[in-house]
Amino acid sequence: MVGVKMATAAAASIRERQTVALKRMLNFNVPHVKNSTGEPVWKVLIYDRFGQDIISPLLSVKELRDMGITLHLLLHSDRDPIPDVPAVYFVMPTEENIDRMCQDLRNQLYESYYLNFISAISRSKLEDIANAALAASAVTQVAKVFDQYLNFITLEDDMFVLCNQNKELVSYRAINRPDITDTEMETVMDTIVDSLFCFFVTLGAVPIIRCSRGTAAEMVAVKLDKKLRENLRDARNSLFTGDTLGAGQFSFQRPLLVLVDRNIDLATPLHHTWTYQALVHDVLDFHLNRVNLEESSGVENSPAGARPKRKNKKSYDLTPVDKFWQKHKGSPFPEVAESVQQELESYRAQEDEVKRLKSIMGLEGEDEGAISMLSDNTAKLTSAVSSLPELLEKKRLIDLHTNVATAVLEHIKARKLDVYFEYEEKIMSKTTLDKSLLDIISDPDAGTPEDKMRLFLIYYISAQQAPSEADLEQYKKALTDAGCNLNPLQYIKQWKAFAKMASAPASYGNTTTKPMGLLSRVMNTGSQFVMEGVKNLVLKQQNLPVTRILDNLMEMKSNPETDDYRYFDPKMLRGNDSSVPRNKNPFQEAIVFVVGGGNYIEYQNLVDYIKGKQGKHILYGCSELFNATQFIKQLSQLGQK
Amino acid sequence: MAVDITLLFRASVKTVKTRNKALGVAVGGGADGSRDELFRRSPRPKSDFSSRAREVISHIGKLRDFLLEHRKDYINAYSHIMSEYGRMTDTERDQIDQDAQTFMRTCSEAIQQLRTQAHKEIHSQQVKEHRSAVLDFIEDYLKRVCKLYSEQRAIRVKRVVDKKRLSKLEPEPRTKTRASVSSEKVSRSPSQESEEKSVTEEYPEKVPAESQPELGTWGDGKGEDELSPEEIQMFEQENQRLIGEMNSLFDEVRQIEGRVVEISRLQEIFTEKVLQQEAEIDSIHQLVVGATENIKEGNEDIREAIKNNAGFRVWVLFFLVMCSFSLLFLDCGNHICAESMLVFTGPHLGVGADGSALPPAKSCAVYAKSRVCGADTGTLVFFLCTE
Repeated sequence: MVGVKMATAAAASIRERQTVALKRMLNFNVPHVKNSTGEPVWKVLIYDRFGQDIISPLLSVKELRDMGITLHLLLHSDRDPIPDVPAVYFVMPTEENIDRMCQDLRNQLYESYYLNFISAISRSKLEDIANAALAASAVTQVAKVFDQYLNFITLEDDMFVLCNQNKELVSYRAINRPDITDTEMETVMDTIVDSLFCFFVTLGAVPIIRCSRGTAAEMVAVKLDKKLRENLRDARNSLFTGDTLGAGQFSFQRPLLVLVDRNIDLATPLHHTWTYQALVHDVLDFHLNRVNLEESSGVENSPAGARPKRKNKKSYDLTPVDKFWQKHKGSPFPEVAESVQQELESYRAQEDEVKRLKSIMGLEGEDEGAISMLSDNTAKLTSAVSSLPELLEKKRLIDLHTNVATAVLEHIKARKLDVYFEYEEKIMSKTTLDKSLLDIISDPDAGTPEDKMRLFLIYYISAQQAPSEADLEQYKKALTDAGCNLNPLQYIKQWKAFAKMASAPASYGNTTTKPMGLLSRVMNTGSQFVMEGVKNLVLKQQNLPVTRILDNLMEMKSNPETDDYRYFDPKMLRGNDSSVPRNKNPFQEAIVFVVGGGNYIEYQNLVDYIKGKQGKHILYGCSELFNATQFIKQLSQLGQK
Repeated sequence: MAVDITLLFRASVKTVKTRNKALGVAVGGGADGSRDELFRRSPRPKSDFSSRAREVISHIGKLRDFLLEHRKDYINAYSHIMSEYGRMTDTERDQIDQDAQTFMRTCSEAIQQLRTQAHKEIHSQQVKEHRSAVLDFIEDYLKRVCKLYSEQRAIRVKRVVDKKRLSKLEPEPRTKTRASVSSEKVSRSPSQESEEKSVTEEYPEKVPAESQPELGTWGDGKGEDELSPEEIQMFEQENQRLIGEMNSLFDEVRQIEGRVVEISRLQEIFTEKVLQQEAEIDSIHQLVVGATENIKEGNEDIREAIKNNAGFRVWVLFFLVMCSFSLLFLDCGNHICAESMLVFTGPHLGVGADGSALPPAKSCAVYAKSRVCGADTGTLVFFLCTE
């Protein structure tokens, strides 16, 4: 019984929970029931940029249509009055949004209004709306007002980010700015805590919080603890009791929230990567589960027929419905290329089958005698007709991945990312290097200046002792020659000096990748993705610092790295400042939240880690999702000051 | 988890109202302060479109209710055997079919009408989009209800087919005896047999009752003339053969039936697809027509261009010819002179051979002279030379 309950609790991922909440909201806050012959209802959806970011990775336009949404418009766009239609608002309770909503009320744009606020609205703002409604005598038209507590963006079943619109506000740079004032820091922390609070309300669980001392993460933890505590104290209005979806199921198994500061591991976000999803995020424009391809340059000699070269911009949604993506987003790239090829072949086989059928059908008219064939064919035709839409969908997916993978491969070839990846892995695991760093930096063919900067920063961060001044000068010169901006280095230098005082640099896993069959580098020759010159590297499991911390905390292992982490339990009546956990059982559920930005590499590493553990779940969250380019930019901004 | 703060909102409305009153601010609808006035529905004229859309929806809803209400009776082909109440005859079913079909047709016509009307009225882009989406919803709804009906109907047809099959199985043992008799009494049976068959198909349940007395009469006929064992054997063999034939025929028929059902299903799918494609084909047709027109225009343009080109060429040619002619005319004097010089230099050299050679200067002078003389100097120069 308990097991079943646990299983259902586990099955409802954060993604599903948020989707259900959204659908409920779109259905005028009545639980959504699928009825095949229900009467159609229609409504318009009005959202702001925040709402758009939350909805777009979860619901497609078609799904919105199925929910009866005829139009979905931005709050601040020009909207024409549409009488006789209810409007569902999904907005942040900010000043300008409220103003605009009041204006809508005054202009009598729609028949009735269902106001939904992404996070809790304050009393004074509510009164502003009430005032406007009174003035427009539209009080009865405001049918429902809801606080949705959905202020976070779910990207995967087990991954979320805080926000996308004002991400400069909670970026790594904002937190680590040397000239930040206390009030600014307060705003940053409040923003983060508000979103995290929304996350836990949606999850329906009160976590046990652990965090390292003396970092931004600690501030978040203190504030979050306070907020949860306040909410729990007021038992009547508590968001964690009553009909919360999973409250009962979680009452005896609470999740662990590990708050990690970005500063404990700066190398990983700079690291070149080798898994599909992370590569797409690193080299392409991958944003809220949508990848934008500039163009497919280069000769695309697809065996399916010479496709005309497209110069236009294309965007693809990589959704969880996409089986291939779901299966391979964590695989190393060469494997992905191979799988794309396989999929293509199997698809072609199916297509041939259908074509063959067609020819038989055409032939059938000539010899009438074959009755047995006829009956056989009717069945076949039926199956073919029913399988056609499926086949078309499959083709679309294969095309999508072919294009994406080709684009990624071009980048890999152009920038020699395989070399970088291998070399960085070696640096991080402190094995002997077969080639001097200077050679790579001064090699004009290998990669962009940014790649070189990343490589050097990783080397600098993970070196046991800093290179001597003379060496450093030499490196600097080489980097400048390669066209690098040295600002990031400035910042990293400061950071390293600071970190050395605080703690010894975290060591990275000491296993490494090994090139598989260097002689058989060239993939099977028929492959479209001829990976010549690209090493077929195989990832070996190694835990990144974040994963190691999580492992220690989840399994209650004793480790000097994590022993002094602070412990908060919002359900305890009196807060205590001890770092000794009361609960000695290992946790089943954990949420890792990186304050100051996360990336797909860590996410993938955590997913791989938890795959080996039975019955455990991890959610990965970050205040901002950046790739190395964006991170370097932030670092260089920090270094300028 | 969403938190309903509607009550809070209402409360704050009241707070604001009382506050306004206290401050003496007269605000909009809340000025007179009566509660009814405050919460009254603001008088907004319902637009024609949405009320009509709702009307169509309620019609479709009625159709759905109607179908669902009669679903059980409609589907149950054995109702008149099994259940006492709620029986429905085939004619009633046919009536339902007919009604439903006309209803569907009127609904889809109404939607079509709405669509054209919505497109005709001039509205902003958003309203237009909204309306077409609403119409899509209604159409979808109608489709779903239609599907309900077609499912229902498919079940009914299937049941009827099953029933027929069952009733065919029933009389099988009878056919044996009948076949044996029929060979003997060919003259009598064919008309009756066919009659019987039709009866069997239409009223399968009546057949057993009817067949009893018939057998009796056959029994009488059988008693009239005795058959020799050979004859019996012969008949029996024939019987066997006939049965085999019948069975194989029956199997075939059954197979064909199955296939027909499948084909009809395919046909349905195809119809749907074809209907879907109709709009696309229409648009393609439009495009093609447009393209043809464009091509025609293009051709004409090209023709014109060619014509222009040709004219231009003629002019160029003319110009060139004129140029060359004018050049020729301008130069013609020179040419003639040169010719004349050539004419006279030959003889002049010949003249030089016999001692009276002219010096170059003289020849020049002659030339110059000849030039001055003009066009008709040829003879003159020649004359001078020979002198």
